[in-house]
Amino acid sequence: MTAVLEVSNLRKTFGGITAVDGVSFDVRAGEILGIIGPNGSGKSTLFNCVLGQLQPSAGDVRIDGKLTTGVRPCDLNRLGVSRTFQLLQVFPQLSVRDNLILAGQEHQGSMASRLFGRADAGLGDTATQMIEFFRLSHLAGEQAGSLSYGQQKLLDAAMAFMAGPRLVLLDEPAGGVNLTMLGHLRERLQAYHAERKATFVVIEHQMEFVMALCTRVLVLAEGRIIAEGAPQDIRRNPVVIKAYLGH
Amino acid sequence: MTRVGIIAVVVAAVAAIAAPFFLKPFGIFLISTWVVLTIAAIGLNLTLGYAGQISLAQGAFVGIGAYTVALLTPLGVPFFAAFFAAGLLCFAIGWVLGYPALRVQHHYLAFVTLAFTTLVFLVLRNEEWLTNGIYGITGTQRPILFGWKTNGARDFYFLCLGVLGLLSLATWWMLRSPWGRAFVALRENPIRALSLGLDTRLYTLMAFAIGSSLGGLSGALYAPLVQFIEPNSFALGLSFNLLLMVIVGGSGNFFGPFVGALVAVLLPEWLRVTQSYYLIIYAAAIMVMMAFCPSGLLGLAERASRALDGRRAVTKTSVPTEGAGP
Repeated sequence: MTAVLEVSNLRKTFGGITAVDGVSFDVRAGEILGIIGPNGSGKSTLFNCVLGQLQPSAGDVRIDGKLTTGVRPCDLNRLGVSRTFQLLQVFPQLSVRDNLILAGQEHQGSMASRLFGRADAGLGDTATQMIEFFRLSHLAGEQAGSLSYGQQKLLDAAMAFMAGPRLVLLDEPAGGVNLTMLGHLRERLQAYHAERKATFVVIEHQMEFVMALCTRVLVLAEGRIIAEGAPQDIRRNPVVIKAYLGH
Repeated sequence: MTRVGIIAVVVAAVAAIAAPFFLKPFGIFLISTWVVLTIAAIGLNLTLGYAGQISLAQGAFVGIGAYTVALLTPLGVPFFAAFFAAGLLCFAIGWVLGYPALRVQHHYLAFVTLAFTTLVFLVLRNEEWLTNGIYGITGTQRPILFGWKTNGARDFYFLCLGVLGLLSLATWWMLRSPWGRAFVALRENPIRALSLGLDTRLYTLMAFAIGSSLGGLSGALYAPLVQFIEPNSFALGLSFNLLLMVIVGGSGNFFGPFVGALVAVLLPEWLRVTQSYYLIIYAAAIMVMMAFCPSGLLGLAERASRALDGRRAVTKTSVPTEGAGP
């Protein structure tokens, strides 16, 4: 199966601190790859380097075989790569519906056609479907800032899917979400994956969530990959246990 | 927009059309000033209120627009050609001024734009060969539109009102389009906006350029309105006054600049009955207003409307329905 994302010898230093130290991996089409590791292991820095938010100190990133190291996040998004952030990143003053339309509008036509065309950029139906898919219909007209934390997390995830991306990178989607909402989120992500055959990379601390969602797991510690394998093998891996528990 | 909102807009439009028939020349001059400065405030509201880019340069753009018309029309350039030239020139300068906004934000950006305003003031004052320096430029002619002479105060007011109407419609169209949503995203969370494919660099420059262009168009009407322009009129004080209009009316609210400009232009005049105390009272009134309604007068009105709706809803649910109960 072809690799959607290839990361080769990626390295990122901040002054004297090496946050990511020569990481290489690839993600195959349709896969759900989990990336776990203790706090400060370099997971989010790795994401930010892959997604153009940070310029890597060394190494290459390829998407569908095309070198994308240093490409701006907005251009990567137009290549079909989407993401969520560790902290909530919705637009609180916009309605749920407008948040979703915004998430897809830049994929519709040119700047000029977006100015003179329809207010919803022709995404009204897609937004409605996405709202229904994530079961947010009763909140469609509400300001995103008035939603509960869990509902905002759902919206955040829905925004990442709005433009129909091929590759979605989710940074701690379960962070701060209660158990009921967590199950709902996982189930929606699995449903989306099954329906659209999208490729996911998920950073997560919530082990049950990772084990239930991911088909393969990478473990990072101190900026390096220390283990890789199927979720059930990773759970029993003594190196991983040592990295997490320190003994 | 709610039904109450539509009624308020219609009433305000009718009042704006009827007002000059009941006012003396000075009153017509004041409401013309309100109309002209509202255009500049709409531009600043776009840059600051919607796109979240602080600018203390709007007064300078009004000045550039005013001098463009004042310098070009005596050379035989038709007024409306000079008017559009003022808009285009300010669009281009605003685009360039937007570049610092790609690197710095908030008070740092405020200082960059403040320095620009000072620079424009110094050019207007010192480059006498072009601007006539502190002596200013007098007698900018009011235009003739399809045979309609706008020399009279009332005629020129209606011309300005028409321009305000057209520019308001164009701005409303833009803000309801995906561009408007993108500007709000730029204000609320530029990093997330970038990750969703928005070219935040392009939208930031656009917000600056379009906002500045509206400042220039306002200035292009200001010169024939006052018929005497000099550098002090476009110093930092005007930029602060325009900022005040946006904040007092309601930053990020489409109708905020209309209300804010009304307060900033008319309130000092109404307070003149208090003679030498009028500026003190005006300043105190603004301070109190900002302390109690930081979201501006329209923000206050929205809060009051929501509270009223909430009270109505509570009253409705607490009234037992007929036939209910045991």
